[in-house]
Amino acid sequence: MTEASARKRSAVAAHPITSAAIVILVAAAIVGTLWVPFYASVTPKVGDFPFFYFYLLIFMPITSVLLWLVTQLQKRLTGKALGTAGGQR
Amino acid sequence: MSNVNAITFTIVVVLFVIVTGVGFGAARWRRAGGSMLHLDEWGLAGRGFGAFITWFLLGGDLYTAYTFIAVPALVFGSGSIGFFAVSYTIMVFPITLIFLPRLWSVCRAKGYVTPADFIRGRYGSRGLALAAALTGIIALMPYIALQLVGIQAVLTVMGVGTSSTNTYVKDLPLFVAFLVLAIFTYVSGLRAPALIAFIKDTLIYLFVIVAVFYIPTRLGGWGNIFTTAQTHFNSISPTTGKPVGTFIPTSKSIGSTQFDFASLALGSAVALFLYPHAITGTLAAKRRSAIKRNMIYLPMYSVLLALIALFGYMAVADPTTAANVKKAGNAQLAVPYLFQHMFPSWFTGIAFAGIIIGALVPAAIMSIAAANLFTKNIFTEFFKPDADPALQTRVSQGASLVVKLGALLFAVELPHTFSINLQLLGGIWILQLAPMLIGGLFTRWFDRWALLTGWLAGMIYGTIAAYNVSNATASHWAGSSDIVFGHSIYIGLTAVIINLVIAVVLSLVFRAAKVPQGADETLPGEYTADPGEAPAKVPADVST
Repeated sequence: MTEASARKRSAVAAHPITSAAIVILVAAAIVGTLWVPFYASVTPKVGDFPFFYFYLLIFMPITSVLLWLVTQLQKRLTGKALGTAGGQR
Repeated sequence: MSNVNAITFTIVVVLFVIVTGVGFGAARWRRAGGSMLHLDEWGLAGRGFGAFITWFLLGGDLYTAYTFIAVPALVFGSGSIGFFAVSYTIMVFPITLIFLPRLWSVCRAKGYVTPADFIRGRYGSRGLALAAALTGIIALMPYIALQLVGIQAVLTVMGVGTSSTNTYVKDLPLFVAFLVLAIFTYVSGLRAPALIAFIKDTLIYLFVIVAVFYIPTRLGGWGNIFTTAQTHFNSISPTTGKPVGTFIPTSKSIGSTQFDFASLALGSAVALFLYPHAITGTLAAKRRSAIKRNMIYLPMYSVLLALIALFGYMAVADPTTAANVKKAGNAQLAVPYLFQHMFPSWFTGIAFAGIIIGALVPAAIMSIAAANLFTKNIFTEFFKPDADPALQTRVSQGASLVVKLGALLFAVELPHTFSINLQLLGGIWILQLAPMLIGGLFTRWFDRWALLTGWLAGMIYGTIAAYNVSNATASHWAGSSDIVFGHSIYIGLTAVIINLVIAVVLSLVFRAAKVPQGADETLPGEYTADPGEAPAKVPADVST
């Protein structure tokens, strides 16, 4: 076990809420289109687009935003971890 | 060549010549004096690409003839099931974000060029690395074949080619395109496709955006396109007595497609970044953050894919296009016929050139990746361990030609009712790397012999299951899904589940029996390291 991985593990343990938020955001981005019954319907129509097709289109920018949030949270996680390591020294 | 439109033909040829010229010139692009006769140079363009070029390179990998020909063809022929590809290109990015940055870091820290290099280093097993290399090479061949079929579809609609019954005379344009691709890849390596990706994407954005705004106005608006498609796919086919297709994935007993839809999307999404060519594109990136940023930007590219998939419905809604495709009996011609009927000939030329180049770029990247695998993990590993970099590069160049010939064979021999099955066949094979590659990025718990046995079982099951799929026109290789427990499900997913179960069970057995585990040359810190931000030469895990 190296110092770096020990540090990472403690970062996850020290910030359970941030870590859980990352997991939930990534899972939401995956399940959002994996769970087909959720959006497999013609109605409600959005403009001329049946819901199924509208949903697939709108979920792309949503995925981008979700993943952007994930990377921001990950930065906070590693940033905090570095701060902690510095404090212990 | 009686019905060739001179303007369309000329524009396609001119754009093609320009692109080829750029490909040859690319050999001198962004090279800081390093010799081309080095695999890092020829195969990874010196590992110097930032987020922006990486975006184009990965985009070039991901949006291919698959996007422009195969997906709309499936949408045209079967309706909503084709939109699994849209779902797949959305969920691929969150899935990839989980493991790809780790792979980039460890490959950079250890100087790995191929996924098989990583397998060898992680498990200390040459056999497992050989399995990974062979899988990569075999899986890429049908995927490259799909690109060739895409080019063929465009050339067919252009009227190039003769009506000779001899396959090899009929496909002459295909062989010409293949030859040009082969030559410029041979000369320029990975730099050619990266630079051409700029031209390709410009052309593609241009014609897709124009098409998306213009064609619906000719067809009575989106409302009419969707209504026509809905009526068409709900109508009962006189030959089968079942609906022609599905407009929305259905859970009912008549052609339940929701499970199929989800499994095809999930399987394809996991498979994508197991492909050696996608990993090659990744490894050419300069920083770990470039990879992460791309996972955020690339979903925007998927919007394009969704719009292109809708071309399939436009082709259904346009009576002339639908009649043309039916007459030719080849759904792959849906998009080319649609463009030819809707656009003036000069613009058709631009669009056709875009599709052709859009097939050439990924085909080049794929064949380079397969060649790297052969050189590093088969030739150098087993036949000539002392091969110098110059010899390695020459072997790679030769191997890339052989791989393309293999692909040509797939293109000519396999049935192409729906060419998307070529990509899905590759997916069945490449998915079998998931336990050893993705699993190995997170844990060293799996036993190498257990992984090898699981891999073999998955490969055999997947190949036999795919071989046994038949339909009205072909007795073998006709599809990529089979029925498991009453649900239609992607074979690749079933096979990888079998693979994983065997790997887990045997790992428990072998670990209990204290079978030697082999050396692991990677360190935990190397999976999260970002050497791009640290001074070179310093080991990655001593940053504190």
